[in-house]
Amino acid sequence: MSLKELSSLEKALGLKKPNKYSTQGDRKVPVLQSINGPALVGLVTIATHLVQEAKQPELLGGSAEHKAVVQQWLEYRVTKVDGCHKEDIKTILKDLNSYLEDKVYLAGNQFTLADTLMYYGIHHVIVDLAVQEKEKYMNMTRWFDHVQHYPGVRHHLPPVVVLRNRVYTSGHH
Amino acid sequence: MTKDAVQGAAEEADQAQSKKGLKKQQKEAEKAAKKAEKQAKLAADTQSTDEDDFAKDRYGVPQMVQSQQKLDRVLVRVQKLTPEKADQLIWVRARVHTSRAKGKQCFLVLRQQQFNVQALVAVGERASKQMVKFAANINKESIVDVEAMVRKVEQKIESCTQQDVELHIERIFVISQAEPRLPLQLEDCVRPDGEGDEDGRATVNQDTRLDNRVIDLRTTTSQAIFRLQSGVCQLFRDTLTNKGFVEIQTPKIISAASEGGANVFTVSYFKTSAYLAQSPQLYKQMCICADFDKVFCVGPVFRAEDSNTHRHLTEFVGLDIELAFNYHYHEVIESITDTMVQIFKGLRDKFQTEIQTVGKQYPSEPFRFLEPTLRLEYTEGVAMLREAGVDMGDEEDLSTPNEKLLGRLVKEKYDTDFYVLDKYPLAVRPFYTMPDPNDKKYSNSYDMFMRGEEILSGAQRIHDAQLLTERAIHHNIAYFYYVTNTLVAGKIKSYIDSFRYGAPPHGGGGIGLERVCMLYLGLHNVRQVSMFPRDPKRLTP
Repeated sequence: MSLKELSSLEKALGLKKPNKYSTQGDRKVPVLQSINGPALVGLVTIATHLVQEAKQPELLGGSAEHKAVVQQWLEYRVTKVDGCHKEDIKTILKDLNSYLEDKVYLAGNQFTLADTLMYYGIHHVIVDLAVQEKEKYMNMTRWFDHVQHYPGVRHHLPPVVVLRNRVYTSGHH
Repeated sequence: MTKDAVQGAAEEADQAQSKKGLKKQQKEAEKAAKKAEKQAKLAADTQSTDEDDFAKDRYGVPQMVQSQQKLDRVLVRVQKLTPEKADQLIWVRARVHTSRAKGKQCFLVLRQQQFNVQALVAVGERASKQMVKFAANINKESIVDVEAMVRKVEQKIESCTQQDVELHIERIFVISQAEPRLPLQLEDCVRPDGEGDEDGRATVNQDTRLDNRVIDLRTTTSQAIFRLQSGVCQLFRDTLTNKGFVEIQTPKIISAASEGGANVFTVSYFKTSAYLAQSPQLYKQMCICADFDKVFCVGPVFRAEDSNTHRHLTEFVGLDIELAFNYHYHEVIESITDTMVQIFKGLRDKFQTEIQTVGKQYPSEPFRFLEPTLRLEYTEGVAMLREAGVDMGDEEDLSTPNEKLLGRLVKEKYDTDFYVLDKYPLAVRPFYTMPDPNDKKYSNSYDMFMRGEEILSGAQRIHDAQLLTERAIHHNIAYFYYVTNTLVAGKIKSYIDSFRYGAPPHGGGGIGLERVCMLYLGLHNVRQVSMFPRDPKRLTP
């Protein structure tokens, strides 16, 4: 999964030469062996490296505070979202939904790597949600729909249908 | 310790003892005094009961009504207690909903079906202390005859339906006493679900209500629901009769399962077995073949389906329609949808009180419908679902969640809670459904939905014995034996025979009375709309 993500990320960043990745351990942590340096291990590490390679540092945040928020969500993706249990999914969706109530993107008003990786990370959950559930987590769904339509991001993932109008009124069971 | 000290200690002990003793004595004296006082008061009370009860014959428990006499007395309905009747002395028979003593007064709420009114007995010229006490002690739910003066009130009585008047009681008699302990409290029965949790007050769960149905049915909500249900039946009959339909009665004990063998109740029938009818389908059609042209029937339907859901009963009331048409089965659809629209209009115009009453306990959006009724084709419905992200095949039947989602999508797009889905895939319909003339995959069949749930399944029926036989074989329903060059179609032979001697093209459909009421009112469990429901787990009351 992570390998597909990384190759999509490369395309999204406009990197011409695809890298060769390997994995290590049971949890299939991605590894990038560089020719003249130590191996890079871990999704966030490699992704950060790719962003810098593509010379788009703004994707990691502008101010120090902004950068910290981006890192926070990258960490959330790898620690909370990956390999989470079914019962925890509702909590994650609730968290994201309340957080995104007053923000366009995860790190505020700017699109960052956090949005891309979070999108890749929860896609498998969102694709199975019923219309009613998507409406329940309105803010999260709005963010998700926005990111999946962001130019160049989607690549290997099928689009998730998000209805333009609310179909379930507030009084509905 | 020294001797003196010991002595001192002993003395102290003595003193303490006598102090204790004194205290004890004092306490006992007080107790005795109190007891004596109480006894004296009781004696005084009973004395006064016998002596001072000037209102003795204005209250009490009379002899059981055994038709001893014909009283020429007019009893006024609680519904009619309005300011128009102010200052009139009237008689009312109602139930004691609550009774509460407050000093020299007793406040009662008298209830009659959906309506209730405040009443009061006050110590004064007409009522004695004993009478007030008697009124306060009448058990809830007892039936009373009350003679009272109707008085206008300045401040509206918010808790009653009759808000502008109250009754000042002059005479009160208990006609039928209720036992003091009720299996459930009516106030709890009508409490909206959310409210109960918030204030820590009880709501009554469904099983308890159904076990004590007689009391549960007395609530204002139940009274409203079943009046509305009665209205649906009446509107169904009246509308169809006006369209020239004939009401028929069909047998419920039958020899062969009509909708397939799985969900049918078997009964022992003398030396053999018989079945309880799953629908009047076969007989409706036979009536058409017998030239009754347009028929309907209202009667029980028995389905032995082991489904414990919010919308399944093992016995329910079917409202069935069947009619011959001229050239196109849409004539049938129009007739049925027009009937439904007339029912909706009738409920909207004549049963607002009932709808509002139910809405107090179970709030919901008012029922919306279009004229003429919206008709979508199955393929359109599938397209709408696919647009919303649902993955389904062209000839796949609609699952319940998809039906509900489609209902929401249709509501959002067309603003209607009632619509028809036409041209279902042939593969998912019963064997007697007429296939589409142009596309073999589809059929001339339709379902109708209210608030996203199916209420009617219908179709143009096959009226040709040959084609019917072919379809029956295809569905593995008929077994063929070639006997003297005649095709003998096993168990459904008599059904197929009905179409051999000239049968008009015809179609129809059946609706469930309970489901229609449930969905019209926006309720969530069909048992609320069935007086004495039957399901796999319930056979009584």
